[in-house]
Amino acid sequence: MTDPALIRNFSIIAHIDHGKSTLADRVLELTHTVDGRDMKEQVLDSMDIERERGITIKAQAVRVMFDAEDGQTYQLNLIDTPGHVDFTYEVSRSLQACEGALLVVDAGQGVEAQTVANAQLAMNANLEVIPLINKIDLPQADVERVKHEIEEALAIPADEAILTSGKTGEGVREALESVVKRVPAPQGDPDAPLSALIFDSYFDAYRGVVALIRVIDGRIAKDLKIKMMATGVVTDVEEVGVRRPANKPVPELGVGEVGYLITGLKDPALVRVGDTVTLAKHGTEAPLPGYREVKPMVFTGVFPIDGDQYPDLRDALDKLRLNDAALIYEPESSHALGFGYRVGFLGLLHMEVIKERLEREFGLDLLATAPSVEYHVYKANGESVVVHSPQDMPEPGTIERIEEPYLRATILVPPDHVGAVMELAEGRRATFKDMQYLSKTTVEMHYEIPLGELIMDFFDQLKSRTRGYASLDYEYIGYRASALVKLDILLAGKVVDALSFIVHKDKAYPRGRVLTEKLRAIIPRQFFEVPIQAAVGSRIVARETVKAKRKDVLAKCYGGDITRKRKLLEKQKAGKKRMKAVGNVEVPQEAFMAILKVDE
Amino acid sequence: MSSIEDIAGLLEPAFPAHLYVHVPFCRMKCSYCDFYSVPIGNKDQIDVVLRGIDAELRQWGALRLPGVVETLYVGGGTPTVIGPGALQVVDSVRNGMPLRAGADITVEANPDSVTGELMYVFAMGGVTRVSLGVQSFDEKVIGVLGRVHTPEEAVSAAETIVAAGMDLSVDLMCGIPGQSLESWRETLDAAIGTGAAHVSVYPLTLEEGTPLEVAVSTGLVEPVDPDAAADMMMLAEDVLAAAGIERYEVANYARPGHESLHNLAYWTGDHYIGIGPAAHGMVDAATARSAGLAEALAEDTVRVRFGNAPDIDEWLFGGRRTVEQLTAAEAMREDVMLGLRLVRGVDATAVAAAGLDATLEDLARLELVERVGEGGPHARWRTTAKGWLLGNEVFGRVWSPDE
Ligand SMILES: Nc1nc2c(ncn2[C@@H]2O[C@H](COP(=O)(O)OP(=O)(O)OP(=O)(O)O)[C@@H](O)[C@H]2O)c(=O)[nH]1
Ligand code: SF4
Ligand SMILES: [Mg+2]
Repeated sequence: MTDPALIRNFSIIAHIDHGKSTLADRVLELTHTVDGRDMKEQVLDSMDIERERGITIKAQAVRVMFDAEDGQTYQLNLIDTPGHVDFTYEVSRSLQACEGALLVVDAGQGVEAQTVANAQLAMNANLEVIPLINKIDLPQADVERVKHEIEEALAIPADEAILTSGKTGEGVREALESVVKRVPAPQGDPDAPLSALIFDSYFDAYRGVVALIRVIDGRIAKDLKIKMMATGVVTDVEEVGVRRPANKPVPELGVGEVGYLITGLKDPALVRVGDTVTLAKHGTEAPLPGYREVKPMVFTGVFPIDGDQYPDLRDALDKLRLNDAALIYEPESSHALGFGYRVGFLGLLHMEVIKERLEREFGLDLLATAPSVEYHVYKANGESVVVHSPQDMPEPGTIERIEEPYLRATILVPPDHVGAVMELAEGRRATFKDMQYLSKTTVEMHYEIPLGELIMDFFDQLKSRTRGYASLDYEYIGYRASALVKLDILLAGKVVDALSFIVHKDKAYPRGRVLTEKLRAIIPRQFFEVPIQAAVGSRIVARETVKAKRKDVLAKCYGGDITRKRKLLEKQKAGKKRMKAVGNVEVPQEAFMAILKVDE
Repeated sequence: MSSIEDIAGLLEPAFPAHLYVHVPFCRMKCSYCDFYSVPIGNKDQIDVVLRGIDAELRQWGALRLPGVVETLYVGGGTPTVIGPGALQVVDSVRNGMPLRAGADITVEANPDSVTGELMYVFAMGGVTRVSLGVQSFDEKVIGVLGRVHTPEEAVSAAETIVAAGMDLSVDLMCGIPGQSLESWRETLDAAIGTGAAHVSVYPLTLEEGTPLEVAVSTGLVEPVDPDAAADMMMLAEDVLAAAGIERYEVANYARPGHESLHNLAYWTGDHYIGIGPAAHGMVDAATARSAGLAEALAEDTVRVRFGNAPDIDEWLFGGRRTVEQLTAAEAMREDVMLGLRLVRGVDATAVAAAGLDATLEDLARLELVERVGEGGPHARWRTTAKGWLLGNEVFGRVWSPDE
């Protein structure tokens, strides 16, 4: 067991892409934790999808041993966290297991929205925050400006900010020295009953649920009988160990130490993130504060293109959920798309990632409908219903009011783009709250905006209208009543339930018009004319027509090359297969997402 | 239509009756072209290719199979850019193969390489038909296609061919960016005016990676409204028919008796061989075995399609790019698919034998095909006017019917 005085626990936090995982690479190298030959870029991003997209999705804890200037060897438990707003909950959890945080700021980009959000999370958790100005090797690095922004925007003294480059390794040793000097050693009572926080978990097909824990008081060792305080489950410790970054068993974990715990339990519901682990007998009375439950914010219908894959979809969702407590789902059926699931996600990136994993890791071919949010519908007869899918919206006549989720959005943007942000926000039913200059180069704007508007391409629009300079963070603030209606889309005279969506009544006409135009461009010409209509109730608000197809012929078949001709026909046919037959209209998959990109 | 013995794979090896030779040279690459051709280079390269063609012909001849060659088509590329070399190909065929005396011999030509002298040599050498790549008589449209000749050259080339006493076929294209219905009508009239006995009409397809496709997809050139292209195809049928030039295949029109027998072979399941880079052939399994076309033919193969490598060097070393083996069921479906390209259509019994009754009934409901001659001895399925415009639907569903 290591003397807590020689332990330091910290997270690396930042806005997305500011170089957290790359810095972690350098730390692993400098401390000889990973062999040169096993080293690769962002080695802690171990999921395929993380590597492909170059982003961190899941926080990763790793233990390194650092020989400091003072001649002592310190045990550093570091957690590399994701920067994307969808995964902010991973950051909050990680911070609870730490006494300090390295706040990384890109020397070119400066302070951005998640820099502010994550720094505030760390400060609210009373962590020692050490600012790092990273990527100083970049030609566009502007250290003085960034220092200024850190001081103004975050009220963190920046004269001691450490200048680093994850690319060259410059300043990394200095950063670790600073962790040793500034981050407090963990405080805890080795003689008190065990109290350890489960700050993360994952599922291993062979070993069951693996919990990542931080010991607060006491010790945990193999064969002890332990209890999960929230679920009340009593079990044996099968193995404890540390992550380097692969699992390495150790005899025990003591005060302040971070590591993993295997109990043999297979059901993730019994080993909950945020729960406190204590001894089965004479355990602690007081559980640790734990975490707020993460709630999905956006919901989409996910349907197998081939109906036979429905059972496989269920199995795949069950499996993914083992590793992703934020994923929830309920069966849904659609006239147009058959059987599927309505799946709840933390945000659009989470949704994309899950859909991609379902398709790739489980060989499914899926169609997703446009995301929606959770509406609270209060009916005239006093009943209230929670609606995750537009098709479940009660008849308009029975509704007294509908409430929708609102967010407080924080936008950081250079002063000359403030106008563009205001214009976008105005079109999205956002209420301006306030705005302040964080520095000469950055303005912080606050809005209250319906989540339903934010998920409609808001972020991409924000980026493109500010030439990439704006960054966005948001938090949920509650439900508010809005004048909402359901907009239906009719193809060839029939309502296609999977294309319906909820919209503010003042926007029904413009959105309907843009969407029908979009659909006309997306839906290929068929043998017959296909009218596309947008309707609120029985009132048609927009109409377009896909003309009947008249010509579809291949070019000259040269010198009897029939093989090639047939190949082209087969390719054309394969293209059709990727479409969904809705009634007798062939609809390409992207049609179901078209609503997302309607900037009227 | 191929015989029952053929379908059953019972034929003895025989010499295919049709021969295609590919001359892979052009003066310049047209903007829409994705056929295999290279810009005409030095004389050595031409000689190498001509010798290679000669050698490949002799290889086939050496098999000494029964049967004679009934039609020869020298295509490209542009065979006429190598001048009298094109006739050398015909001579190689005569020397290396059993070419029937008076066989149908077609050579493809572009207006800019047709001269009186060359046509005289062709006619003397037994060429019976010249297929002239005019595409359009409208200067602006020719420009979009990136072709090097003028309308006047096309007219005079056509006159030269007719004067030399050969059959003239004029190749036209419609649905070209910048082409108006009026321009198309004038082109059709001009084609009729040349005295052509045969006209082919293909709507332009934008093949991926060609300069024209790139220009359209980047917005440099206006795309063509498919409805306008459909109108042009319909206009062609009317205008040509009024001049006595009748459609006999989806894209081919002729005065009665002047249909291209070589072309017909492609659509009727007749066997043919392709000589030269990128050339294609189709033979029955027995012939494929004698010719050593495939290392191993599957038990149930009745038909083999093969394509030479689309690259001069690879081809010289005997490279084949594709060898495709078809089962009896596939061959029967293919015959129906190809047969529906013909105005006369396919025998109802062949459709039934291929298991395609339900598919054709579906297509009939969409008014793309019709059944005719009911009650008589020969009920047939054939493509309708609407079907000609939607050929992909007809052919695609027949080839892979499991909708
Ligand atoms: N020039 C330069 N590029 C860097 C440096 N550090 C990281 N990068 C690059 O910046 C990009 C993002 O780096 P990551 O380490 O994945 O960033 P991250 O903060 O972990 O990103 P998320 O986990 O997705 O929030 C990658 O392309 C890195 O190669 C640096 O010091 N200098
Ligand atoms: S002449 Fe024919 S083969 Fe030659 S480039 Fe033009 S289209 Fe292609
Ligand atoms: Mg990362």
